[in-house]
Amino acid sequence: MENDLIDIVKSLVKTVKAIQMYGINHPSAKNFCVPFYKKLTDFLKNNPELDLQIEQFFILHADEIIHEEKEKESSIAFRLFRNGIRNINFTEGLSFDELLLFLETISQFSREQDIALNLWEHDFTHINFYVVEEEEQILDYKIPEIPVKNIDYDANINEIINKEKIDLNAIMNPDLAFEEFNDLKTEISNTKKLLVVPLGITTLINILKTNKPREVIESLNELVTQCVDNNDFYNARRIVYALKQCPDINPIEKFENETTIIGFQNMINTSSKDIFDEFISFIRFFSKESIPHFINLMVRIKRKNRLLSLRSRIINIARNDPTHFLKYLDSKDAAILINAMALLGLMKFKDTLSLLQPLMFHSNPLVRIEIITALENIGQIAKIAEFLDDGNSDVRLKALQALTKIRYPKIYDNLLRRIKSKDFRDFEFTEQKEYFNCLVASGGKEVIKHLKKILFKWLFFGRKKYTIMRKLAALALVNINSKETREILLHGVKKRDKNIKSACTMALKQK
Amino acid sequence: MSIYESGKNMTSLYYALIKAVQVYDLNNDVVQRAAKKFFSYINSLLNIYSRIILVRYRDYIFFNKQRLRFEIDGYASLQFIHDKLKKLNIKSLIFSSGIDKNEIVTFTSIFKEEKETFLKQFSEKKFNHINIEFSTTEEELSDYLHDGEQIKRTYFRALKTTKDLMHNLGTGQPVDIRSSKRVIYNLIDALFQDEFGLLALTTLKNFDEYTYNHSLNVGILSLTLGQRIGLDKKNLVKLGISGILHDIGKVIIPKALIYKSQRLTDEEWNTLKQHSYYGVKQILKAYGLDELGLISMIVAYEHHWNYDGSGYPAHRQNQKPILFSKIVRICDSYDAMTTPRTYVPIPYLPHLALKVLWKRRNTFFDPILVKVFTQLLGQYPIGSCLELSNGEIGLVIRQNQSNSDLPIIKIVINKDKEKIDGIIIDLSVQNGLKIVRPIYLQKYGINPASYFV
Repeated sequence: MENDLIDIVKSLVKTVKAIQMYGINHPSAKNFCVPFYKKLTDFLKNNPELDLQIEQFFILHADEIIHEEKEKESSIAFRLFRNGIRNINFTEGLSFDELLLFLETISQFSREQDIALNLWEHDFTHINFYVVEEEEQILDYKIPEIPVKNIDYDANINEIINKEKIDLNAIMNPDLAFEEFNDLKTEISNTKKLLVVPLGITTLINILKTNKPREVIESLNELVTQCVDNNDFYNARRIVYALKQCPDINPIEKFENETTIIGFQNMINTSSKDIFDEFISFIRFFSKESIPHFINLMVRIKRKNRLLSLRSRIINIARNDPTHFLKYLDSKDAAILINAMALLGLMKFKDTLSLLQPLMFHSNPLVRIEIITALENIGQIAKIAEFLDDGNSDVRLKALQALTKIRYPKIYDNLLRRIKSKDFRDFEFTEQKEYFNCLVASGGKEVIKHLKKILFKWLFFGRKKYTIMRKLAALALVNINSKETREILLHGVKKRDKNIKSACTMALKQK
Repeated sequence: MSIYESGKNMTSLYYALIKAVQVYDLNNDVVQRAAKKFFSYINSLLNIYSRIILVRYRDYIFFNKQRLRFEIDGYASLQFIHDKLKKLNIKSLIFSSGIDKNEIVTFTSIFKEEKETFLKQFSEKKFNHINIEFSTTEEELSDYLHDGEQIKRTYFRALKTTKDLMHNLGTGQPVDIRSSKRVIYNLIDALFQDEFGLLALTTLKNFDEYTYNHSLNVGILSLTLGQRIGLDKKNLVKLGISGILHDIGKVIIPKALIYKSQRLTDEEWNTLKQHSYYGVKQILKAYGLDELGLISMIVAYEHHWNYDGSGYPAHRQNQKPILFSKIVRICDSYDAMTTPRTYVPIPYLPHLALKVLWKRRNTFFDPILVKVFTQLLGQYPIGSCLELSNGEIGLVIRQNQSNSDLPIIKIVINKDKEKIDGIIIDLSVQNGLKIVRPIYLQKYGINPASYFV
């Protein structure tokens, strides 16, 4: 048995050192843990327990030293001893996981760590240990004597009974009913899952309603950081809102720097919509000074809808002051420029047009597209129409879409003329279709007449090339969806011209 | 699965088998199914542990040296088996490898019998894999007041730490958080070892200043109640610290006000009520914002919130206190009522304090927790003094889990009203003795705590 013990303790020491060197999850450490577990459990098969005593530099069994290491820095015995651990006891039934947790706990390097407390918290079932406290002084248990007083104790009992209106015959049945038992179990289970931080915040906010103590304010200020670090923007927002009553403190200031705001980039692309929405709500408390950093953050957003949400929030923060966007209109970075223009447009700033004018011929079509959105936001429709001649089809399409959305009658004749021109047939189908949509949107009653004309136009040459025009006219008519347009299309179905017939049939089917 | 869980499961399954055997014939399906379940479970345990030993010691059941705690979950089965072993005078029940289902069923069938029949049948029928060891009542009772030294040391160390903690907080000195945590861990260990032994020490009142002693007692009572409802160690630590720190705000309140013997004016009362809020400040200063600090802070703030939404500090009626605050609310009130204070020099007798809690359940206190607290303390809590039908006076030193109105007492005053170091009597097994009424032991110049410390 002696040799077995020496072997087990040697293995324990080596394993702890390996864990300290590599960490518990490293294969090299596992190579020590597995044989140690085997040796220990083999021992426990033949013995009910293994009891090790700890002295300053020794590990003992039955008062006999089986391991000695006097180098304080590396001695396991010393580390355990310093933490007050005087005895460790392993019993049968020990599992590998339990042992790993134990080894990891006693392998902790830091002096700050209280190994005894950590072992205790793990609540091992097959590992017991004995800890002595630093002050093992003999305490005086002498208790106060009670002098016999001339008091009518029975009268006192009656007084209490009367005062409290106690019915001495009332039965106190402490057995819990089934429902009570279940309610209690539920409450305990909820308590185990309790999120303390939000509750703590509620308590501190409650206090702020009546008092403004420094400790509470500072704690809340600290908790904002904790919440932001944990992406808990809901509680961060609650705190900031509550702290608005305390003018001496600005809980947001510490976040209004480039590093922190750019640090939100992972969070803004989070899969959780709730977290993102809470973030957007939270940043409403930020000041205008943070706007440049948010503009830089915007270029990192992957989802369009989130970008739009952030832009809207920035407009809130800017409070009609475009100062912080303007400097970005000179940016060489198209993405930043686009965001700055978008913000200007959203703000409906009166000088936006003059600021955007020089950028209308920007070489990057994406910039020109964003200008259209901005013009749309500030209602500069005539300017949008100028983009119908842009060299880039995406820009033209965006302009058409904007015009369709706005319904701008003044553009009607222009559109009709363009549709009728021969060049029109060389456009991409998407653009052609948008032309017709725009025509319908901007036209009055005459649009049906014109579409009908296009649909039924008699041609001697170029019928094939014109097929697309008929189709587009038919689709436009079906979109108008009136009795008159339906009749036109039904009429078209009966036509002999197979192109007209097919365009009308297809349009009606689509409907 | 832990040894503790294994023990709990085993006693539950055995309880189910005993119940089945009491009702049905041994060949009945219900009995056979229960026996099969128990057999399969015990067999799996015997593969891990070569023997299973259930020991009854000081009203507790130990499963292979691990004490099985009375918790609301599994309470009935543990209580039943404990009572059965007690009635049969069995100290240990040992199951060994090789046991079969029939042996289990046969043993269970005689286990339900009365003591004499059981003993006769046990010796007649041969059980190769079930052994029992017996003890005598005298042997058991004489054991009650021994072996509590470690618990006492823990208590007094905790008292010292509480005092240091409160003193340092009051004087703005740094507090030793590690010590306070360690103290709680030691208290929990003591609790798991012998909760009644620890509870007995809460009869010690005003050993030092009221607030220190009271704070520690509330911590201990809260821990005991928390353990009974089945909180795990991590939550017990939070509850224990919260219990000890619940009144920490009082270190800010002038002592003259706290110890004022006359009725408080409205203004003074309002100042005193501020202690909940001061407590938050103190805890934040000392513990910061870690989980332990936050929980203790919440409890310090909420411990005067009532179950029905009333109480102070002001809060919305639908704002409910957390479980820990509700526990501390009960324990705080109980300890305060049973402790002499300058303005209430004669405290409430423990059973009357319990009746007050009972009466105010649903209004001040959570009714379910009050029930569990009553179950825990018994109708006559430890430290109560009972006048007996023979004229003697006994001090309650222990609860009987199954007979909460018939505790274990020590005779401290004889029929001639003289102080004596009398015998220990288990009122649940003694015949002829009846409780006449609870009385104040102070009447005889005796501090009940002197028997426990």
